[in-house]
Amino acid sequence: MDFRTLQNANRRKTIGLLIAMGILMWILVYAALTFFGGATTGIVPIAVGISLISVWGAFYGSDKLVLKMTGAKLLQEEDNPKLFGLVQEVCIASGLPMPKVAIVYDDAPNAFATGRNPEHALIAFTTGILDVMDRDELQGVIAHEMSHVANRDTLVSAVAATTAGAIAIASDILTRMMFFGGARNRESNNNPIALVFSLLILILAPLAALLLKSAISRKREALADATAVSFTRNPSGLRKALEILARDSTVVKQRSNAVAHIWIESPLDAKSVSKLFATHPPIEDRISTLRAMESL
Amino acid sequence: MEIIIVLAVIAFLVVFFVIQYNRLIRLNITAEEAWSQIEVQLQRRADLIPNLVETVKGYAQHEQSTFDAVVTARAKATTASSVADTAAADGLLTQALRGLLAVAEAYPDLKASANFAALQDELATTENKVAFSRQFYNDSVRQLNTAIKTVPTNFFVGFAKVSEREFYEVEDPQDREVPNVKF
Repeated sequence: MDFRTLQNANRRKTIGLLIAMGILMWILVYAALTFFGGATTGIVPIAVGISLISVWGAFYGSDKLVLKMTGAKLLQEEDNPKLFGLVQEVCIASGLPMPKVAIVYDDAPNAFATGRNPEHALIAFTTGILDVMDRDELQGVIAHEMSHVANRDTLVSAVAATTAGAIAIASDILTRMMFFGGARNRESNNNPIALVFSLLILILAPLAALLLKSAISRKREALADATAVSFTRNPSGLRKALEILARDSTVVKQRSNAVAHIWIESPLDAKSVSKLFATHPPIEDRISTLRAMESL
Repeated sequence: MEIIIVLAVIAFLVVFFVIQYNRLIRLNITAEEAWSQIEVQLQRRADLIPNLVETVKGYAQHEQSTFDAVVTARAKATTASSVADTAAADGLLTQALRGLLAVAEAYPDLKASANFAALQDELATTENKVAFSRQFYNDSVRQLNTAIKTVPTNFFVGFAKVSEREFYEVEDPQDREVPNVKF
């Protein structure tokens, strides 16, 4: 498969998953109406509102916020002309503006990119990744990170996080209402099967939203790998870089789990319960996809 | 009722026209910018060359023909203006630089000098930038030329006053060489 087919496939799947999130929201509303009747309709806008406010702030200031949360330090061109040269190369290949470049003092090899739009992009590297990787490998990593910028992944994950957050909040409020009883009125459905069913939905919706959010994140990672190849036309650089990351067992010492998903190699997935909740596709799969592109 | 339908159709046509027209203009501007990016990177490479030649000369005085080749290729590259001329001069200069670096291989003192290593590094990243700006330019030209030839954008070419652009094709003699296969 070449990178264009992969890019299109991953874009389509993201849209499908985002639509599934929206449908899940409606199912939740429907379940709430069945269980409690019309009195609860106000809860959904409130949940969406709370979620929007909390995610939107993080999205808008993502470049500055992430700097603080990861302890990254901004670099100037004089600090590391070689790294800046590499980033400039990828910018020229992608037609993106030059991002801010930052460094995280950590021996674990890793990197991330964030920012609400290409003009406010930030790309960061750990000191570890700069030590262990050669020119081609770093170029692959930079291309992967700049692909997140080009594909507006901060926006995509903000949308996913808003919906998942709203679903979690709404379901939380509704389950509490259930326990403290009372709110059921005459309009509500009294069919026991419908009641049990909507109860199940209320409880399971946040879990389903979390699964969808993780699936979206995995699709965006796969898309970023494909887009990276479209920039450098050199799948072997990124493939070798991922092999180094796969072999390496050190993990970034994080200050906060909230930003775990933005790294190229997730610090959390190693110990995650199941593949379904992982934010990244298994690194072996990513390597074999890139290898398939090399043999074209 | 009929008035509403007529108005809706007109509004639809206007929006359609604006979208197609803007698409053509946007593609044309991207190609234009991609072209200036190539020129910027070629200029950067040209600026590196005098320094590089002087450094190599310091260690290897007897390679006059190689130096001359680089200097003439550089002069040609800095005066070329059309896409085809620039591409041809670019190919020549790349080849001449390869010769210069091959010469440097024979002088261990030169290879060991920090100055030469730094220049080589800068040349490597500049060569990559040149290559990537070419790739981006050719991609933009492909998109523009496709839009100019395909429906529906091709109807708006006259209004937008855009025309097809030339691809940037570098003639690299190394790519042409037929590998010698013996059975």
